[in-house]
Amino acid sequence: MPAEHMGKLTYRMRLAFALATVICVLVLAISPVKDFRSEWKKYKRAFVRYAQGRPDTKKLLADYSPNINQVWIPGMNVVDRCTTCHQGMTQSSLADASVPHPFRAHPPIPHNVREWGCTICHRGQGPATEIAEAHETTLAWEQPILPAHYLQASCGSCHHADLNQTPQLTRGRELLSRLNCQACHKLNDLEPPMLGPELSSVGCKVSREWIYKWMKEPRTVLDKDGNVTVNGYETGDESRMPKFRLKDEEILALSAFLSVQKAKPLETYKINPAVVAAWSKNADLLPQAELRFRQMMCTTCHPLAVTRAGETKLIGGNIAPELTKVGSKVNEQWLVSWLRNPQGYLAHNNMPHYGWSDEDLYKVSQYVMNKLTDSDLLSTVPKLDTPTDDQIKNGRRLFLEKGCASCHNIAGVTPQKDFGPDLTALGAKNASELEFGKAKITHNLLSYIQAKLQDPVSVNLASRMPQYTWNAVDLDAVTTALLSQTGPKPTSALQHLVVPKVEASYKPVGDFAEIYERYKCYACHRFNGYGGTLAPDLSYEGSRAQKKWIVEFLKNPQTIRPTLILRMPQFNMTDKEVNTVAEYLALAVQKPDVNPESVDARQFTPALASLGKQLYEVKFQCQSCHTIGGTGGYVGPNLNNAGNWLTPAWTEAWLRNPQTLQPDAIEPRRNFTEEEIRALTAYLMTLKVGIKPQTAASAVNGRSAGQGAGR
Amino acid sequence: MKSPMRLALPILLAAFSLTACKQATEVVKPVEAFGSYDTEPDWNDSTKLVNLGYQESQGKRIFYQSCVWCHADATPAGPSNRSNLTPVPPLLDDGDKLNAESDEFMQNIITLGGSALGKSAMMPPYGKTLTAGEIKEVIAFTRAIAQPPYQKPGRQGSQYAAK
Repeated sequence: MPAEHMGKLTYRMRLAFALATVICVLVLAISPVKDFRSEWKKYKRAFVRYAQGRPDTKKLLADYSPNINQVWIPGMNVVDRCTTCHQGMTQSSLADASVPHPFRAHPPIPHNVREWGCTICHRGQGPATEIAEAHETTLAWEQPILPAHYLQASCGSCHHADLNQTPQLTRGRELLSRLNCQACHKLNDLEPPMLGPELSSVGCKVSREWIYKWMKEPRTVLDKDGNVTVNGYETGDESRMPKFRLKDEEILALSAFLSVQKAKPLETYKINPAVVAAWSKNADLLPQAELRFRQMMCTTCHPLAVTRAGETKLIGGNIAPELTKVGSKVNEQWLVSWLRNPQGYLAHNNMPHYGWSDEDLYKVSQYVMNKLTDSDLLSTVPKLDTPTDDQIKNGRRLFLEKGCASCHNIAGVTPQKDFGPDLTALGAKNASELEFGKAKITHNLLSYIQAKLQDPVSVNLASRMPQYTWNAVDLDAVTTALLSQTGPKPTSALQHLVVPKVEASYKPVGDFAEIYERYKCYACHRFNGYGGTLAPDLSYEGSRAQKKWIVEFLKNPQTIRPTLILRMPQFNMTDKEVNTVAEYLALAVQKPDVNPESVDARQFTPALASLGKQLYEVKFQCQSCHTIGGTGGYVGPNLNNAGNWLTPAWTEAWLRNPQTLQPDAIEPRRNFTEEEIRALTAYLMTLKVGIKPQTAASAVNGRSAGQGAGR
Repeated sequence: MKSPMRLALPILLAAFSLTACKQATEVVKPVEAFGSYDTEPDWNDSTKLVNLGYQESQGKRIFYQSCVWCHADATPAGPSNRSNLTPVPPLLDDGDKLNAESDEFMQNIITLGGSALGKSAMMPPYGKTLTAGEIKEVIAFTRAIAQPPYQKPGRQGSQYAAK
């Protein structure tokens, strides 16, 4: 380059500089343009346009900012930017279904959405700002959003106590505890495990052939329509005994081992020969035996297959084993001894101790052994010989290895500790922590849990978990309960947010305690939150029922609710026992603020009672739900005998607010005045009938209220 | 000097056009995985399922606790109380009867009972048992399962939705 040209720019150089500048500017512009075009900004602008097209623009845009919105809860790992796009979250005017997502308002829930953020309930990735990253599993972000159907799992990670609003979660927890998942797995906050029957003396009860059959095919299977069936009959309940994938020689070994378990010899009972002689020749024995079987109300607890109008269904209670084919299972000696004293065979079980007469014992055992049978039950079982020592030794080993020992106790066999994996933090696991094997399923936690529950070997060939049969509803419920097991909370400072489960227990004292244990009152009735739910809650029975009525009822239980066909059995209690129960209930089983003595029935005048009748029949039309004298509705208990049954104090308290006495009462709380309450009580106290003896014709079996026939 | 520039330009242009490559996402993109909170079978055809949102599913729960006894033909306990009553209460899914009633009327009759609104006294008031929010949930459930389907009268959003 000549010297005079030094310092001067040539045209070409200028062009080069100009271009370089342009390129530089363009390169610098990439980032702002990309930012402008980012997904979340589009939603921001779209929301402004959407709000401008509505009459309440000003209100909708009051909090608008063009930046990322974020809910930050230190200590809980919540950094939720969801409201950046879901901008109408708290706008009540956007609640309608016609509002497009993501602008639609959140439905009203018990928690404030602004305070809690989104991912605590919905999961997904709070800090992400792209649709896919926030909602789905991507390479860098593993936690997908929880499908709405399983959302109740999130309630359960803080609310360890059951909530009314989360029936699916509650059902799931119930199933986890009913199916005794805790026997093998560690789980948080479940009812104490209910183990399978103890097998220490099972050899006295059933034959080796029956054990073989049972292990080959526990009675419950899924039919072709996906319904759970027991012995081929449809039922709403899951079987508690799952199917183990056992080979034939394993079944041979296990049945050999079990059939020699006779730790406690059978206490044989000889029924009075005079009774046997009188009845065994009687042609009318079986019909009479069936009648007695029905009158004993066995089906209140035990389900039984019944064919009605061409449809065979299991009916009866669901708290005890199904009995349709039990006559082909147990031996007669065992049955008689069991009926007489169930605790003689198994120390812990919920079967009440009936006061049997020899005649009843003979009739009922004959009915069970002759009518509740299936001659084909064991027809597929090969001839089994006396167990060899080898088989027994192998059986014992398999009993431990297969996990049988985790649910079934046998004297002298100690189950392995922590047989299955710890599941207390399963619900917080990422997909990368799970083993999917060769299963062709979406790789996320939800699909994993469902696949594992439905077919354990599909995700892990070496899985020791047995095969359960689920209906769709229960599968989802158990999945929800497992997803709610999210382990300990992130920081201890927030531990107070956890709503703990309340442990309920009830221990009566004195003579009543003995009767309570003998007749297993808690198997059906609930006392202060402890006990079964098949029959009414008796926590406040002493405030509710008159002592005389309790005595009469225990001697001859009658149904009070018209639609209820399951009934309390007659235990043949002695007079002394009946009086002890009545005395105890009246004195010690009360609601403190409803003292049965506090309202004196003598103050009720006939005029007051007739006013009450008017109110009952005309103003409030109580007959829509209650029956008096054969007319009225089915919803509430019949009031035919209210004057002998209820205490005036209870009646008044109930009319003031039924839910304080029974939280799940169907009867709504009314705005009765005190005068109206007094008059209604006066009228109800005039309703008295004598107690009729129990008739055979009324002793039909069926399913009780609350046992879910509708849904 | 010239050749690198000639190369750089198209590369830059390509880079710019790439930023536009990502498909413009639509404003309404339902996240399929989210699904519905709960379902209720159509009362006349159990093979059809009605999807329920949170509010509607809470309404369903309350309905099956308090209302099912008289406003359905099958109840969890078996027989329905509906046939015992005169006048016969409407089935909850009876759109012909209930679609015409406004949300406000429904809220009132559930809160105050039938006699307060000149209807049958057999319908008790629930204002002291259920909260206003819970009653709204029951109404939302009623609307969800109505047959023929419920149409919101004079929907506020509809005239703007076209824009």
